[in-house]
Amino acid sequence: MDTDHLARMVISGDTRAISRAISIAEDRSMSEECRLLMRALYPKTGNIHVIGITGPPGVGKSTIIGQIALEMDRRKIRTSIIAVDATSPFSGGTLLGNRIRMQESLNRTSIFMRSLASRGFKGGLSSATLSTIKILDAAGYDTAIIETVGAGQTDIDIMKIADTTVVMHAPGLGDIVQSIKAGIMEIGDVFVVNKIDREGSFLAIKDIQDSLAINPSGEYHKKVIGVNSLNGENIPSLVDELMSHRSFISKKRKDSKSRFMLELQIYIEDELRRIIDERSEGNGDLHREMISVARKGIDPFNGAEIILAKLLR
Amino acid sequence: MVGKSQSLFKEKPIKVLLAKPGIDGHDRGMFVLAKAFRDAGMDVLYAGLLPTPEEVIDTAVNEDVDVIALSLLNGAHLTVFKKIADLLKKRGIEDIALVGGGTIPDADKPKLEKMGITGNYGPGTPLSTIVKHITERATEARKKKLGFR
Repeated sequence: MDTDHLARMVISGDTRAISRAISIAEDRSMSEECRLLMRALYPKTGNIHVIGITGPPGVGKSTIIGQIALEMDRRKIRTSIIAVDATSPFSGGTLLGNRIRMQESLNRTSIFMRSLASRGFKGGLSSATLSTIKILDAAGYDTAIIETVGAGQTDIDIMKIADTTVVMHAPGLGDIVQSIKAGIMEIGDVFVVNKIDREGSFLAIKDIQDSLAINPSGEYHKKVIGVNSLNGENIPSLVDELMSHRSFISKKRKDSKSRFMLELQIYIEDELRRIIDERSEGNGDLHREMISVARKGIDPFNGAEIILAKLLR
Repeated sequence: MVGKSQSLFKEKPIKVLLAKPGIDGHDRGMFVLAKAFRDAGMDVLYAGLLPTPEEVIDTAVNEDVDVIALSLLNGAHLTVFKKIADLLKKRGIEDIALVGGGTIPDADKPKLEKMGITGNYGPGTPLSTIVKHITERATEARKKKLGFR
């Protein structure tokens, strides 16, 4: 199958083609195919609503995504899910376990779901995720829900890609404001407190409401929604809120230029990271340079400048 | 690090779906295998308990896995494994390899092999043997996936 044919199949919504296209986006040894594919798909993109879900481990991100997807499916919104799991930095292997929490929703519907591995510190996740969104966009999905591992720079990148960022919390995980203060209050568009059947959930909701009232950022009136992902309580109000944020941003979608610049920057940074990785491995030229810097006894700060100069020459 | 050592899998490791299709809740073994495969550098998915053959195939297609590793301890392997092999054939999927395992009598193994379901290891098999077999079958599958290159 050539990439043109594959692109046509993706646009027609064929699940196997979409799935194969995502594999190409993930596999860096196929960057040439990926380039051709993206060129063919790009004109068909620009409609998908990207919802990013973040929060500490164990708050119920995967379970709630299953519930949201089910509710959206009921409302005839074509939904897809991208879940990111952490790669073991030792073996390079990954246990992709998010899927199992949503299996029931997936079985009952035609929701497309794909798990991506974070691949440790090697980078590439942001660009693979971005390409995956483009593929689903071109395939005609209305929504892509992204779940992240919950920490690190790639997470922040992915949340920047999202049109609507949902920050999740639950009672019993320590002081709410403490854990969501740094940066998170600003990136969140919708705040969710899960497990509202538990003690302390009222205070958790109130804490976040208070802190949103103290730091009102932007024109959108941010809401805090309490849900119970196990029995689906309040999930329809959460989906209402997601839709209302969607219509708010689509009004100011005019600034798509800044979005384009952001995507451009993500691809550039990832590609740079890949080049540095490649050239500092085994017998790469940067690796040799690093060894020579080490031998000369130059300090790391100045050593890095010498190596960077070589890279950018 | 089998999943990464070969150049075919350097940028995208072997991806395996573990599944127990049918009425069988004995999944402790699946968790042992999942960890062994992850430690061998593979990307591992588990389909959860009691998926139907259709659900197993849908998951495998969505995730574009290289290998589906089936396990049953309830004696229904000839029926259920066959259903999965038939469904793959019916949907024209040739680039996903099928392997089996569980409590499978020796007499049934040639029958499963004939359906393209290989391995069919029983209790006590060294994990390294299973990892090696998965790697071999994944290599075949990945080559087919990359066929148009």
